[in-house]
Amino acid sequence: MISPFPRSTSLPGDGRIVVRLLPAGGSGLETISYQYPLKLISPSPTVDQKSALVFLLSYGGGLVGGDGVNLSIHVRRGSSLSLVTQGHTKIFKSPSPDVLTSQKLRIQVDEEAAVCLLPDPVQPFEDSVYEQTQVFNLANRASLCLLDWVTQGRGARGEDWSFTTWTGRNEVWTQGSEAGQKGRLLIRDNIILNQDGSKLVGLPLRDTMHKMSVFGTLILRGPVVEPLGDFFMAEFAASPRIGSRDFRSKEDQEKESEERSELERWRSQRIDLENQQGILWSAAHVRGCVIVKFGAASVEAGRSWIGSMLVREGSIATYFGDTALMCVQP
Amino acid sequence: MASPPHASEDEIQSEIALLESRLNEAKARLSALSSSSTPSIPFRPQLSASSSTHFLFLLSDSALPIGSFAFSSGLESFAAHNRRASSFGTFLPLSLSSFASTTLPFVLAAHRDPASLAALDDELDAAVICTVGRRASVAQGRALLSIWERSFKTTLPPGSEDDALILKDFSTLLRRESNNAGGEAPLVSAHLGPLFGAICAIVGLTLRQTAYVFMLSHVKALISAAVRANMFGPYQAQKLLASENVQTMINAMVEREWHTPVEEAGQSVPIVDLWVGRHELLYSRIFNS
Repeated sequence: MISPFPRSTSLPGDGRIVVRLLPAGGSGLETISYQYPLKLISPSPTVDQKSALVFLLSYGGGLVGGDGVNLSIHVRRGSSLSLVTQGHTKIFKSPSPDVLTSQKLRIQVDEEAAVCLLPDPVQPFEDSVYEQTQVFNLANRASLCLLDWVTQGRGARGEDWSFTTWTGRNEVWTQGSEAGQKGRLLIRDNIILNQDGSKLVGLPLRDTMHKMSVFGTLILRGPVVEPLGDFFMAEFAASPRIGSRDFRSKEDQEKESEERSELERWRSQRIDLENQQGILWSAAHVRGCVIVKFGAASVEAGRSWIGSMLVREGSIATYFGDTALMCVQP
Repeated sequence: MASPPHASEDEIQSEIALLESRLNEAKARLSALSSSSTPSIPFRPQLSASSSTHFLFLLSDSALPIGSFAFSSGLESFAAHNRRASSFGTFLPLSLSSFASTTLPFVLAAHRDPASLAALDDELDAAVICTVGRRASVAQGRALLSIWERSFKTTLPPGSEDDALILKDFSTLLRRESNNAGGEAPLVSAHLGPLFGAICAIVGLTLRQTAYVFMLSHVKALISAAVRANMFGPYQAQKLLASENVQTMINAMVEREWHTPVEEAGQSVPIVDLWVGRHELLYSRIFNS
């Protein structure tokens, strides 16, 4: 098959990763190349490694105004890849609003292959201008677990959605089953946060964020993450009704709580925590994908919420290995 | 008028002043004349414009039976999530900004090119990633398509037969897709935005009118929902609707999205997605969204 990606990676910020099944079993890197300011690190594989692991890094831990990263990844048939980061991706201020900092990611996932992208959140600083585009091209029975999240900035320095622009686009395409057949757009998740755009309805951007410190989207598709998708849908359906009241007597409540299963006890603790920490979330089954949206009043609360959900269900750790979850560990 | 090739700014300014004073003088003479005779506006029979004006009134009427009264676009959920501090004044700008950034580009694109209706509908379907929001958009879109087929189609403006075929093909495709349910993504779903844009184009509304009516209808539906949810009374509702604030916001939103390509349409107020998505969790509901 002819690779749809350009061969050369001679431009600044360009990178390329190719993952394939190793003859002895397991996934390994066929190609890994990158140019400043992008940096890719893959720890040497261990015997029990479940998926190829790559750290997406940038020199200095962030992107300076005007930096552009352009990474293309190909995960060949049957192999699997997990992508993580080391700390928030900081987006530094732009010298002027027309200097754009950008990250582009294109991932091609072949038949029976799987990708897990669970990075740390993007942290855009005051006056930064950022655009992120992530396009996933999935073959039949390919799997994807994608987390995309953004924070208010440096909360400790008083930043509260103080950047100029942040746009994030995630697209999931399916490949036609035969060569030459046109792919189809399944999901397009766009977030456009913009100071000027929000001023037009008379509100500073921070007022439209309703005191949330982090917003995230989790997109799941394919056989590997199907149980995880079902788990989120079931947990969402089991959420307590808003505005309902418990008319049972105290004794009955206590009696019933003793009889609850381990899952029910876990769920009730999680729901208490969600209420305490100001976590709102919803899940939807859309065009063969499960999409979870969440917001939290603090970044750490958001991290521990999504982490505890992924750990509890367990299939990410089982399939990709514990290292895939390192950025969402509370 | 002949003017020197390199007239200075001052000369042009004085020329404008002169022309303005002559205009004012002529206006004064006209008003003196008409106040002495019987004031009357001559009846001018309108030909081509009348049909589009007629449809403008029909499509902007809150009695248009697309069932928008059944939806609150997250208002009910917003009120339930923020019991202590839920004011309509907080919700309206958030909802307008979010509705404009997600949907208005599709309305404009369908008006500009009604032939791309099916493709736009599919693209919008990929972008509305919330069960409740999809339900609201598709229910109203299908109702609008029925109104077109059962009511509007028979009084087509002359010359729009080709465009009408687009809608006929669209509803044939929709019927076929509904029959073979089971596929994960049907080719068309009939979302409200693109259908509204295409139908407005066919009945002769301008792009600007279409965008304004679309946004105003959203505001009307929200305010009507607020009245029924007992947030305020009908006079306050009309006051809000008539307010300059609402007009300014609608115009600003239309201007903001005027050149937005549909690929760049998206959510500008993420919390609205959460409120709308969590509408299903409300213990008691009077609306469908």
